[in-house]
Amino acid sequence: MTPLIYSTLIISLGIGTTLTFASTHWYLAWMGIEINTLAIIPLMTQSHSPRATEATTKYFFAQATASATLLFAATSNAFFTGSWDILQTNNPLTYTLMTLAMAMKIGLAPLHSWMPEVMQGLTLLTGLILSTWQKLAPFCLIYQIQPHSPNLFMALGLLSIVAGGWGGFNQVQLRKILAYSSIAHLGWMVLILSFSPPLTLVAFSTYLMMTFSLFYSFMMTKTTHINSLSTSWAKIPTLTALTPLILLSLGGLPPLTGFLPKWMILQELTKQDLALVAVLAALFSLFSLYFYLRLSYAMTLTMPPNNPAGTLPWRLNPSHNTLPP
Amino acid sequence: RLIQMSLPNISRVPASRLLRSVRDLRWLLRSIAPLAVPRRALTQMGYRRPGQPREDKPPWWRVKFDLSKGLKGMKRHFQLLKEEFFAEFVGPMGKPIIEHMLEQNQVVWEFRGPHSLQEWTISCDREIGGKSEIYLKIGKNNETCLLYGTLCSDPPKDGETRYSGYCTMRAKQPLASFDRKKYHDWSSFNTLHLRIRGDGRPWMINIIAETYYTHQKDDMYSYFLYTRGGPYWQDVKIPFSKFFLAHRGRVQDDQHRLWLDKINAIGFTLGDKADGPFQLEIDFIGVCKDYAHTEDFAYEKYKRNPEV
Repeated sequence: MTPLIYSTLIISLGIGTTLTFASTHWYLAWMGIEINTLAIIPLMTQSHSPRATEATTKYFFAQATASATLLFAATSNAFFTGSWDILQTNNPLTYTLMTLAMAMKIGLAPLHSWMPEVMQGLTLLTGLILSTWQKLAPFCLIYQIQPHSPNLFMALGLLSIVAGGWGGFNQVQLRKILAYSSIAHLGWMVLILSFSPPLTLVAFSTYLMMTFSLFYSFMMTKTTHINSLSTSWAKIPTLTALTPLILLSLGGLPPLTGFLPKWMILQELTKQDLALVAVLAALFSLFSLYFYLRLSYAMTLTMPPNNPAGTLPWRLNPSHNTLPP
Repeated sequence: RLIQMSLPNISRVPASRLLRSVRDLRWLLRSIAPLAVPRRALTQMGYRRPGQPREDKPPWWRVKFDLSKGLKGMKRHFQLLKEEFFAEFVGPMGKPIIEHMLEQNQVVWEFRGPHSLQEWTISCDREIGGKSEIYLKIGKNNETCLLYGTLCSDPPKDGETRYSGYCTMRAKQPLASFDRKKYHDWSSFNTLHLRIRGDGRPWMINIIAETYYTHQKDDMYSYFLYTRGGPYWQDVKIPFSKFFLAHRGRVQDDQHRLWLDKINAIGFTLGDKADGPFQLEIDFIGVCKDYAHTEDFAYEKYKRNPEV
């Protein structure tokens, strides 16, 4: 792809999200989301492999359906309330439809089935953009929808935590694991949204940082399968030693940063007399912790018997040498 | 009354003036008239041997319904479903994760009894009216399989086919319960390892990966297999990076590497235009990880037109 087109697409991605952030009218917000979708499509199909085109097609179908639903909901809201303002979403039908449309956009259960297949077909960089940047605009809209009852958000949240944990259980492909991890984390964020929106933002920002770090670690070691993780010690030893910290942070283990949003969410849920929901959320996130631990085990805690022959790659590539002098 | 009111009469009415261009009544009565070009559902049903008359029977007329067959099938499928469910508790794809992490070699197909032949399909140009023959049997001591036959490149005299002379053996797609497609996941490996004994003929190895669109259903990734005739076994190791993309036998310009996470089948084709008997004995077909092989894709891609 020529640099001009590439930069146009990246700038369009930025413009789309910014437009949604800055808008108060539903049409403008929808337009920003559409610009985002359309800008990432060529980035996904850069390599002409059939898996990439399959992933792009599935992504496009899911996003187009969600966008159409959102537009319909916004128009219905304008019909019922007479206002196109995002903050004036009062009708239960319309805010339910909008919530479900945004849930499909970001990949919340039970509308999450497109996510692992799409992530599997992408490069790690495009997958990173999909997991982080593409979630910003829909989340901005979910944040502004003020439902009267928290039941829908709690149901979506709990289902996502379960689906994200259970789905990633027996995966060996790293991109699919990251997709299920994304689903589970989004579940945590949406669970607390109706009670304490700032906590959702805390969870979202920590998720962005951790996911970015993990994707970047996998990009540097060029690994897409759990087996190739086991030989990453030969490529970048320091990164191999530090990546479990990112993984366990994603799993929510104290004293790492990833524990903070989970702790505060559980505390808030308990304050709202929803101890059962808190217990269920904590228990189901143990599934996610299981596969993060498995990745740490494969990468750092075990030495594989099948070592690479010849000179160790980290000696040959000084730009990746992060050992202290 | 419709028949009495012929088309020229109808078309005099201003609202239906466009009907004047319709000369043939069959265009209006499309659903019941016999067609010059068959409907897509019928052409994509199965293979029609060139020269044979087309069958216009809808698919449900061709199935034989039988209650006892149905009950046996249901029992078998539920049994498979139960096994799959409990296999997930063991690990990914029914194997413990430690096995996934440690394995460097995996034998995918081996021939240790007549039941192994159920996983394979053989075919030759006899289907299109040619004169080749192909047979598959288990070799001595139930240790190998022997693919043998006669190749004949005389084209069938049906007025349509110009070339002929091929024989092929292809693995069947693995199926899960309720005939869902299962795939081979070879993403931990990078080399195909075969142990074969041939007669010096050049074969083509085809790997069929899972695709999404219907126009990709004939996509195959191929590479050559040169057999050395002789009593000694040949260990052939072909890296997956060497396989190139072909569609219906035609090598494509826009090449990409073979994705190993969803493989449907493997096949061997002989089409070397050398008429006569052939034999190929296969001990096993496996995959392995060669850490010294770091190539991603063996072929350079040239951009013929400047792309955006």
